[in-house]
Amino acid sequence: MSTTFLPCGVYHENYKQDHAWWQTKFIKSKMFLLFITLFFIIPWMSDSYSLSICNQIGYTILGALGVQLLIGFCGQVTLGHAAFLAVGAYVSTLLVLEFPWPAVFIELGLAYPISIFIAAITAGLWSVLFGLPSARVKGFYLILTTMAAQFITVDFIITQYVSQIGGRGQAFSLPLGTIKVGPWAWGVIDSDIKIYYMMIVLTIICVVGVVNLLRSRVGRAWVAIRDNDISAEVMGIDIIKYKLLAFFVAGFIGGIAGAVWISNLAAISPEHFPWFWSLWLVGVILIGGVGSIHGTIFGSIFMVVVMELLQMAVMPLADTYPKLLMDFLFIKEAAFGLAICAFLIFEPNGLAYRWWQAKNYFNLWPFSY
Amino acid sequence: MELFLMTLTTGIMVGGIYALVALGWVLIYKCSGALNLAMGELTLIGAYVSLSFYSMGVPFLLALLISLVIGFILGILTERIFLDRLIGEPVLTVIMVTVGLSFFFKGIVELIWSTDTKAFQPPVFPLEPFRFGNIVVGQVYLWSFIAAIILLVIFVCFFKYTRWGLAMQATADDEMAALSIGISARFVYAAAWAIAFMAAGVGGTLLGNINGLNISVGYLGLLVLPAVVLGGLNSVPGAIVGGIAIGIMQNFCGAYLDQYFPGGVKEIAPFAFMAIFLLFKPHGLWGWERIERV
Repeated sequence: MSTTFLPCGVYHENYKQDHAWWQTKFIKSKMFLLFITLFFIIPWMSDSYSLSICNQIGYTILGALGVQLLIGFCGQVTLGHAAFLAVGAYVSTLLVLEFPWPAVFIELGLAYPISIFIAAITAGLWSVLFGLPSARVKGFYLILTTMAAQFITVDFIITQYVSQIGGRGQAFSLPLGTIKVGPWAWGVIDSDIKIYYMMIVLTIICVVGVVNLLRSRVGRAWVAIRDNDISAEVMGIDIIKYKLLAFFVAGFIGGIAGAVWISNLAAISPEHFPWFWSLWLVGVILIGGVGSIHGTIFGSIFMVVVMELLQMAVMPLADTYPKLLMDFLFIKEAAFGLAICAFLIFEPNGLAYRWWQAKNYFNLWPFSY
Repeated sequence: MELFLMTLTTGIMVGGIYALVALGWVLIYKCSGALNLAMGELTLIGAYVSLSFYSMGVPFLLALLISLVIGFILGILTERIFLDRLIGEPVLTVIMVTVGLSFFFKGIVELIWSTDTKAFQPPVFPLEPFRFGNIVVGQVYLWSFIAAIILLVIFVCFFKYTRWGLAMQATADDEMAALSIGISARFVYAAAWAIAFMAAGVGGTLLGNINGLNISVGYLGLLVLPAVVLGGLNSVPGAIVGGIAIGIMQNFCGAYLDQYFPGGVKEIAPFAFMAIFLLFKPHGLWGWERIERV
């Protein structure tokens, strides 16, 4: 993480101040404003369409957070993260639909929250299983293993076996009102705004959790492994343990992402978790900035919003060229590919680096030397 | 027994095509150190180009030749525009640029040729199968295998006996030494990408002849990854052996294991095998094991 300079005239007198989350009053008020914006202004101002975009951003942040943790902080490149999202989503769906919950649990609306938790744990363990080769291999070989995770999990196990459970064929349908949180009547998740609140709370918990983890001994060990795993081992870090822990946490967050996302889907099928989505998540962190939590958030917002804008730009043309509407998916793919290449070639530090530059410019103004 | 032999021959023949594509992959890695995940899309481009020319009435061999030329040009362009700027960057950057390229190419291919399955019409190879005693093999497979082997031999001869090929070998062996005796590394990188495009294009065309051509042929291009892992990332003979081995394994899984699973074993087996193989022998059969120092 790059250091941020404090504004002129701010000093720390003890370590407690030095380690504080928000170090100045200005930052505290900024965070308060952010809180107000997220919880009140956005839901109040936006219609269903923009809320659904916000939900998509939240889902992307949750998914990309695990990828960021693995690639950006532990140096373990993964190209199969959608598999763990899929595991989370399917475990949660199966628990909600198929598990014989006692009536009390359903009445109290505990089934879904419990299923999220179990889904997250399962996804984490599944991720550890495919992280095991990281004990022996690294770099490109690990990429291949995680790719194998994607194909084995989504294209084989989920498509061929899990989808057959209950004889539904390919997709599990989740009719409105299946998912219920809490004992209250308004706890039934049936509108974008409720999904939005659930998403925002979980995203904040996960982001804060990961940032705190990175400030601890575990996070420092991960960064040491990323920078040079051999030196890290010489320093006395149990690299296998910490690598597997990174895989577990990444899978855990991925599982939460998948389990939350099912509330937004009317039906869940393997097509929701293609290999494209794994690569998309890696693209998000590359564009946002590798090794930065800010980068994950900026990257998610940037990618989702840019793709929506691209769609809006294409839509008016669709009247004259109806083929364009059909081809939009392909344009999106090509644009995404080109964007990754362009960012890696021209802005390898990502959006987070620009943000850091701007912030420091204002913090140090007017004596920046 | 007949089933066994037939599966084996088909496997070897499809494996020949994989070997050709894997050769292109290994070449890029050996010469420039770039780990290329866009191989599947390279096969698609070559295949669609030759298909378009073939359906315009150009004879098949000429269409193949045109796709080779276009592949050569595209390969050099790709290297110059994207990869040339990344020399000396971390491995992940280069890999992700190739991932970006794969999306870019895939999007373009889908835009131009759409996603429907297209077949070579009229069929290039006669439809009636070939018989050796009890073994029946489709002519498509046989001719594809022969074409792949001819091209493999041409490429290997190119490396052994021509000036360019020797320059590429030298760069792969020791870049510094090659530079000091006046070999242009940039030229070698461009040539490696051009040859990879050409090999992948021919591979794609042959695969397209077997089952018709659609986007999933690009997935077959991904199968080179298990092949090169098996053979060792920087070994040309390894790529050939790996390609054929993966072809055989895939067909055996299709023939014998499909009855025990609901389906999809054939597609997954190479990747599952790769994941397990990496645990035990990550450097492949003939790859170099690099000793790391801090």
